[in-house]
Amino acid sequence: MMPEYVRQKLTLDFAEVTRYLTKRIKEYIEESGKDGGIMGLSGGIDSSVTAMLLSRATKYFHILLMPSSSTPKKDLEDAMKIIKLINAEDKYTLINIDNITQEFSDAVKTTDKIIIGNIKARIRMILLYAFAQKMNYLVVGTGDKSEIMLGYFTKYGDGGVDILPIGDLYKTQVRMLGKYLGVPEDIVSKPPSPALWEGQTAEGEIGLDYETIDSILYLKFEEMRDVEEISEMTKTDIAKVQKIIRMVKTSQHKRLPPEIFRLSGRAVNSDWRYPRQWG
Amino acid sequence: MGLKVELAQIRPKLGDVKLNLEKHLEIIKSSTADCVIFPELSLTGYVLRDLVYETYKESEKAVERLAEENKCIIVGLIKEIRPGILRNSAAIIIDHKVDYIYKFYLPTYGLFEERRYFQAGDPKKDLKVFEYKGIKFGVVICEDAWHYEPIQALVLMGADTIFIPSASPMRRLSAKLWIQDSWEALLKAHSLINGIWTAFVNNVGSQEEEFFWGGSMIVSPSGEIVSRAKLFEEDNIIAEINLDEVRKNRFFSSFRDVNKDFYDVLRNL
Repeated sequence: MMPEYVRQKLTLDFAEVTRYLTKRIKEYIEESGKDGGIMGLSGGIDSSVTAMLLSRATKYFHILLMPSSSTPKKDLEDAMKIIKLINAEDKYTLINIDNITQEFSDAVKTTDKIIIGNIKARIRMILLYAFAQKMNYLVVGTGDKSEIMLGYFTKYGDGGVDILPIGDLYKTQVRMLGKYLGVPEDIVSKPPSPALWEGQTAEGEIGLDYETIDSILYLKFEEMRDVEEISEMTKTDIAKVQKIIRMVKTSQHKRLPPEIFRLSGRAVNSDWRYPRQWG
Repeated sequence: MGLKVELAQIRPKLGDVKLNLEKHLEIIKSSTADCVIFPELSLTGYVLRDLVYETYKESEKAVERLAEENKCIIVGLIKEIRPGILRNSAAIIIDHKVDYIYKFYLPTYGLFEERRYFQAGDPKKDLKVFEYKGIKFGVVICEDAWHYEPIQALVLMGADTIFIPSASPMRRLSAKLWIQDSWEALLKAHSLINGIWTAFVNNVGSQEEEFFWGGSMIVSPSGEIVSRAKLFEEDNIIAEINLDEVRKNRFFSSFRDVNKDFYDVLRNL
């Protein structure tokens, strides 16, 4: 559960947040010399909210719908609802990725659902970047802070993007933002799922609901409280609190660029640090 | 008779104080030296980034455990000197009594970002000379040996030996290891100018993208490297520090002359 204390801390002025994020997306696209943004829309809360923000930031955007056999029919319907909501009927492309996934899986000779799930996420990344290059657009990611902290994403799959506009909002906050933006209620309240295989849900896989997960993440990493106190405040077993913290720690490699083994006087990322906007 | 010192060139595991403490104890218990000296932040590892906040308490507790041992021990830790203020510290444990020294110069350039986390020591309070088995010594941490004053002050306060726990990462690798050459030059200069023993104890091995090159060494007051640890791997070296070598330097050098007018000039610059 989410303690009232945490809910208050995480409840933002979402009108202001919307203005801010929209402005940031617009400026980033301009400053990077791109013409617009492209993103994948699953019909889940994160990509629905991101699509609404992107469509407010620029009229030059494109949406890819990339369902596979493990995509629930309802997700695709929900995605179409968002497409209508943001008037993107002429700005989307539907690509079923089952055939490509089959080719990859055959090449790897695997039937493992997790390996194939990651292949799907990376196929979507490849498609997004190919379209982005063709259109001179940026790839706009849809990951939220909860997923990023937990490492609940595929490295170079849904993690392979140019910007993460909602990457500093916990899942619970993305839901609040979704409500503010007018995302249909059933999308807001639908259990989050990467849908990389049939029946997969994030909360089922992690073993806690996002209200609790977000409370743990906030209390541990923003308020730096100790495990016992967090367990008490969230009415959650210490073991489960520890599991969440462990997920954050063991996934740090997913949030950092690959390690470069230092040799020289100035090594990239170590003591050779420049801003993205460089020349 | 001199002081037998052991330089424990270890590869601490980043952030794992429990494991690092075990490693410290293992070395201390099997050592035949009077004094065992570990590298900078030896209990926590160096490239901690925000892990600093999660390891300082445990490193302070580990020092309490080490104080149960019967030896002179110098270890690196993070000490909270008042709530919320952390310092890059070394604990000097002599006969179960613990005292601390703090780094004065906090490198914050290139790959270093110590001022993001630590407060510097205060020379007016934190310069300390210790004595064990008749040898007076001071301890400065890594970057402090890249300046004159910390070592000079300790020597003028009476130290005849300076221990330098360090975390020196490898960089500028060409035909020779530039950073090793630099450290040799520094130690020799401090030793020759002050007529002192200098002992550099480096970390070794990788921590994140950085790699500590090891190469710990002891330099005599005549400027000779009397003992050297291996490069790139864990190693321990033992050497005996005595006052005769100190005398040899000082009988035949102008160390005895300190013209303090220079300090007046420096102060007023």
